[in-house]
Amino acid sequence: MNTDTPVSPQDMFTETPIDRRKRLTESVMRVFLLIVTSVMIIPLLLIIGYLLYKAIPVLSFEFLFSNPRDNMRAGGIWAPFLGTIYLVVVSLLVSAPIGVFAAVYLNEYARESWFTRVTNLAVVNLAGVPSIVHALFGVGAFVLFAGLGESILAASLTLAIMTLPVIIASTTEALKAVPMSFREACWNLGATRWQTIRRIVIPNSISGILTGVILQVSRAAGETAPIMFTGAVFYKAIAEGNLFAYNIIEQCMALSLHLFTISTQVPDVTEGTPHGTAIVLVGSVLLVNATAIVLRVYLRTRKKW
Amino acid sequence: MKNKIEISGLEVSYGDKPALNRVSFDVHENEILGIIGPAQSGKTTLLKVINRTLEFVPEASMDGTVKLDGVDISTIGDVYGLRRRIGMVLPLPVGLPLSIYDNVAFAPRAAGLRSKSQLDELVERCLQQAALWDEVKDRLDTLGTKLSGGQQQRLTIARALSHEPEVLCLDEFSIAIDPVTTMRIEDVLKTLQKEMTILLVTNLVQQAKRLATRTAFLLNGDLVEIDSTDVIFSDKPTHQATYDYVNGTFG
Repeated sequence: MNTDTPVSPQDMFTETPIDRRKRLTESVMRVFLLIVTSVMIIPLLLIIGYLLYKAIPVLSFEFLFSNPRDNMRAGGIWAPFLGTIYLVVVSLLVSAPIGVFAAVYLNEYARESWFTRVTNLAVVNLAGVPSIVHALFGVGAFVLFAGLGESILAASLTLAIMTLPVIIASTTEALKAVPMSFREACWNLGATRWQTIRRIVIPNSISGILTGVILQVSRAAGETAPIMFTGAVFYKAIAEGNLFAYNIIEQCMALSLHLFTISTQVPDVTEGTPHGTAIVLVGSVLLVNATAIVLRVYLRTRKKW
Repeated sequence: MKNKIEISGLEVSYGDKPALNRVSFDVHENEILGIIGPAQSGKTTLLKVINRTLEFVPEASMDGTVKLDGVDISTIGDVYGLRRRIGMVLPLPVGLPLSIYDNVAFAPRAAGLRSKSQLDELVERCLQQAALWDEVKDRLDTLGTKLSGGQQQRLTIARALSHEPEVLCLDEFSIAIDPVTTMRIEDVLKTLQKEMTILLVTNLVQQAKRLATRTAFLLNGDLVEIDSTDVIFSDKPTHQATYDYVNGTFG
């Protein structure tokens, strides 16, 4: 039996100076981190709020589905809106399959060698190349060398080159998240690498793969530099309300470039038109990102281990 | 007695690190060969050599020959067919993220079997052999990964039997399951021995004593000795190290 001064229950639960300091630090850090997080969110809310406030008077179905009028001083944004959709869809139709298959090869088939090291290095570095450099590459490679001219196709291919490394990187991460033990179990059963990939690896990484691809929609939609020399024009009238109004070997308008034009190049634009254009661009991007989140949550609830 | 597997001069290393040093022995048809030895003695590597999954380890290199039914396995063109002739059960249970049914049907389907009735019959037989059928027969469409550890390990065994192997390799199969289930599976192995050759890698020397026809003792990549289990567990196996290891006075 211990005969030293016994610790009474009260003493045991009394706060020591060290406990007090820990408690204070904890509160201070909690508030500090909350403030930092708010600082990040508040500007976003202010921007969207301000844009909405300014844009409400012009926002309507008519705004979305009619062409710009009066030398772009008035009217809607149909031509640039549809142009952006074309650019995004065509570029992802090219970059998503190539990116995903390349990532599958690098992650599932390729052995460590100088080739894979160089490829991985290229992927990482390409993701950091400024978009204006991609633009100049697009002019040289697609517009001039491949003879596509300034067209939706050339601009989309330029965007595809820009998004490709990021898709490869995000797909690789998704594939790495599938435990190695699943692959080993399949190989032990006499499955080929491809059977393993098709039956086990892809079905269990598809949510991560799709999220990575969808997040590139916002990048492709938002970029101006890569498209302005390769296929986007200041003005082009198209059939209103017709989803097939563009031909991919012709030029198109685009929301990002249109916003730049009416904000800085055209005098006396109707009040609210640039804000409305910005809201449509931001809103479409947020909508697509929200789809990605919903898809991710849905696929995660079906996660199988 | 017919030799099922003949291993001669087998050397394996991972980079500069040797894993097996000139190991030679035969595995008889329809025997249970117990393989015992402490960690890092090359037991798992040996199994990976036999079904040629060592090829998936990038830094591994190998020398020597392994013959299955007298045929050098490195000359077998259809490596996937070779792997299906060998069932492999790994230490930790791996339920594939598929239904219980699809887990067992995975290998036959990968081999091209499509007939629903044949698959049904095969799945039932394998699950019964692995002593799991009664527990899961009413929920074959639930995920294999949702089963308990012991059930997943029996699922793994059912899956290894699904491609009707001639050789069954078990790598410390009882590490994650309870003693009762272990005993049930041990009974299953004794039955399976009539149909196939079994390589039983185990850390439980008593398990080898219970089951094995012959036992091999590996130490640091060397085959210390291989003899009938009675001799290995007797008072005088050929090597003192063997005696010390099986009696727990090692090192």
